[in-house]
Amino acid sequence: MGIIKSENLIFEYIRRDEEGNVEAINRAVNGVNLDIKQGDFVAILGHNGSGKSTLAKHLNAILRPTEGDLWIDGHDAKDLNKLWDIRKTAGMVFQNPDNQIIATVVEEDVGFGPENLGIPTAEIWERVDKALKSVNMLKYRKHSPNKLSGGQKQRVAIAGIVAMQPKCIVLDEPTAMLDPNGRKEVIDTITRLNREEKVTVILITHYMEEVIGADQIYVMDQGSVVMQGTPKEIFSRVWELKKYRLDVPQVTLLAEELRNSGLQLPEGILTIDELVDEICQLY
Amino acid sequence: MIRDITIGQYYPQDSVIHRLDPRTKLVGTLVYIISLFLFHNFMGYIIVTLFLAGMIHASKVPFRFMVKGLRAIIVLLMITVLFNMFLTPGEPLVQVGFIQITKEGARIAVFMSIRLVYLIIGSSMMTLTTTPNQLTDGLESLLAPLKRVKVPVHEIAMMMSIALRFIPILLEETDKIMKAQIARGADFESGNLIKKAKSLIPLLVPLFISAFRRANDLAMAMEARCYSGGEGRTKMKPLLYQMNDYRAYAIVGVYLAAIIAMGILL
Amino acid sequence: MSIILDKVNYIYGSGTAYEIMALKDINLVIEDGQFIGIIGHTGSGKSTLIQHLNGLIKATSGGIYYNGEDISDSDFDKKKLRSKVGLVFQYPEHQLFEVNVFEDVCFGPRNLGLTEKEAQLRAFEALRMVGFDEELFYQSPFELSGGQKRRVAIAGVLAMKPEVLILDEPTAGLDPRGRDEILDQIKKLHETTNMSVILVSHSMEDVAKYVSRLIVMNQGQIMFDDTPKEVFRHYKKLEEIGLAAPQVTYIMNQLNEKGIPVNTNATTIEEAKEEILRVFHNRKDEPSF
Repeated sequence: MGIIKSENLIFEYIRRDEEGNVEAINRAVNGVNLDIKQGDFVAILGHNGSGKSTLAKHLNAILRPTEGDLWIDGHDAKDLNKLWDIRKTAGMVFQNPDNQIIATVVEEDVGFGPENLGIPTAEIWERVDKALKSVNMLKYRKHSPNKLSGGQKQRVAIAGIVAMQPKCIVLDEPTAMLDPNGRKEVIDTITRLNREEKVTVILITHYMEEVIGADQIYVMDQGSVVMQGTPKEIFSRVWELKKYRLDVPQVTLLAEELRNSGLQLPEGILTIDELVDEICQLY
Repeated sequence: MIRDITIGQYYPQDSVIHRLDPRTKLVGTLVYIISLFLFHNFMGYIIVTLFLAGMIHASKVPFRFMVKGLRAIIVLLMITVLFNMFLTPGEPLVQVGFIQITKEGARIAVFMSIRLVYLIIGSSMMTLTTTPNQLTDGLESLLAPLKRVKVPVHEIAMMMSIALRFIPILLEETDKIMKAQIARGADFESGNLIKKAKSLIPLLVPLFISAFRRANDLAMAMEARCYSGGEGRTKMKPLLYQMNDYRAYAIVGVYLAAIIAMGILL
Repeated sequence: MSIILDKVNYIYGSGTAYEIMALKDINLVIEDGQFIGIIGHTGSGKSTLIQHLNGLIKATSGGIYYNGEDISDSDFDKKKLRSKVGLVFQYPEHQLFEVNVFEDVCFGPRNLGLTEKEAQLRAFEALRMVGFDEELFYQSPFELSGGQKRRVAIAGVLAMKPEVLILDEPTAGLDPRGRDEILDQIKKLHETTNMSVILVSHSMEDVAKYVSRLIVMNQGQIMFDDTPKEVFRHYKKLEEIGLAAPQVTYIMNQLNEKGIPVNTNATTIEEAKEEILRVFHNRKDEPSF
């Protein structure tokens, strides 16, 4: 079994009126089946309101399934006693860098998670050092988070999770509020964590350029998974993606347009080099 | 303008004062504040000034940075000065009509404002040299005995530390929302008191909403990082007194003794 | 209508140890009806620059003239300037505060001292201009989706009937479709009202697609001020300051280096497609030996 597995996962937001009667039910996650292998880099794409963030919050047991099953590293997400085991297994990085940094000094923030886990002091320091090194922020350890750039703040947030040594990191739109340089910093960092430290990464985003290196992509719409496959498979279905309010990288779109105009290019071109090579071969 | 408030802001630096145990600094600051009200003579001011100057020097925080923090209390300072100057009875110094400044008034005004300024500088010394987290750790540890009478010391300390972290962020946000509303023609300056209060609604509503959203996000982020209250937590930076702390306690003790002696002898 | 900036300097935290020269010797003329893009990385001075244009920040030195009038004159009507130069901040939905959408959009015109009827007319028109669904006019703004909230916030500025509309990253945080919808709406606004639009953006692809004049800021100075095509010609310079050209520019340049005779000045997908097809077409027409 994979590190994350779900079967027919359903989550409903229930709104009640003042007397406690059910006023409206909004099914945010609707029958999702996931099977994520340990060590994979998985991307979940979807427009705003597609249910991808609600799904992500299940992976860390912030929300619990209304119906269906979810196992995180074998722990049943519906079992209240497994709450802390799940949170230790799957760490979570959120969208707004300011709203997830607790401490006023970088290293103290990274130490917050290990402190909660009851790790002995000496080991906390080791973990903090290692975590800051892994996100390339060691020289900022004494800084105040307020003085850092968005990308740096997000890397601190990632270090805070890394220091808890989870098997899996879930990132819920970690780049949505960053500029292009910050986005690159964050994506490079998590790619390295995935490749070198073998951490399973689940990246939730709507920036297409960030997911071309993923092993597996899930596309969500109206609470359900509507597409699943490798980046090549997903991005060759340009018009389907557009239907789900998404996009493809510019390179892919250009290749698709050229193909439609009669050039014999293969489907699912993802990088500039690929496109240039293919065109040169045709010329 | 709003960013000029330096009270509560940490100034990163590597100094003897920065390295002291927060408990030492808390006790020291408390003693210092009390000491400001224990003397009524000129010698006392000299001792306090020497003590404060010594501390500022040892902290390596630029003096200019501290003085900037005073801007925030300038109104309070002016009111104190004016009240004392005009309303203290005594030997008149200047008299214009029924308004008079007395010798005693001028004297009290000067000394009161020195005390106020020293009070602010002294207490901001603590926040400038101690990270809010250390500060709350210190408070938590000093107040730990209160846990026995069911005071949620850890929770209070955590709330304080979070409040301190978010004050600069919310100040910046206030600035931003204010500008955005001014760009929509809002006027925060003119009009009478009621109109002014009403004009704050477009500022306060978004600010509250943002604060709640941040609180919600933060609670979620803390939970996701396995926070479940003070039980079973370890500390990355446990508080341990060093040799310097004992020296500092000794210095504070000598200082207090000197001030008290001054009060009794002179 | 025109805005002229003459040797504008702005210094942050003047007189302290943290003194930063945020704007350095800015000379700029913004004419009627232009669609201008401003790019630059975080901290390059773009936000400071746009806040000068409607008088929210006062220049440390230099002059800013709106229709020939110096905006720093004591008798210059700042409020009127702010209604004529509308500024939509980043994440503008964070400034919404009223009980419903319509009331919120009325806030600006009411501040201008218009009659209630006129204010409502303007609000109605502004909401229509951003393509906001009439059925949602009396909804609380806090119950809307992110994209809808942003439209309401933009309408809130449009209701002041500005002659220049400045938008600071209006698409931040929106999904791809939401981004296209907002930008298309802004383009339509520009075309139908002849309003000048200044778009601050991080996306080279977006500016390449929409604007006709591009200003590149770096370290408080204007580095380029030209058509996007001309600016992207200097893509190596842009990289040096931490920016990049649109992906298309890289594709065209690489093709050219590999000996395919494409013109490298295409900046949008449409142009690139035409150019590549043209080259292939010409090759086929060549007589084979």
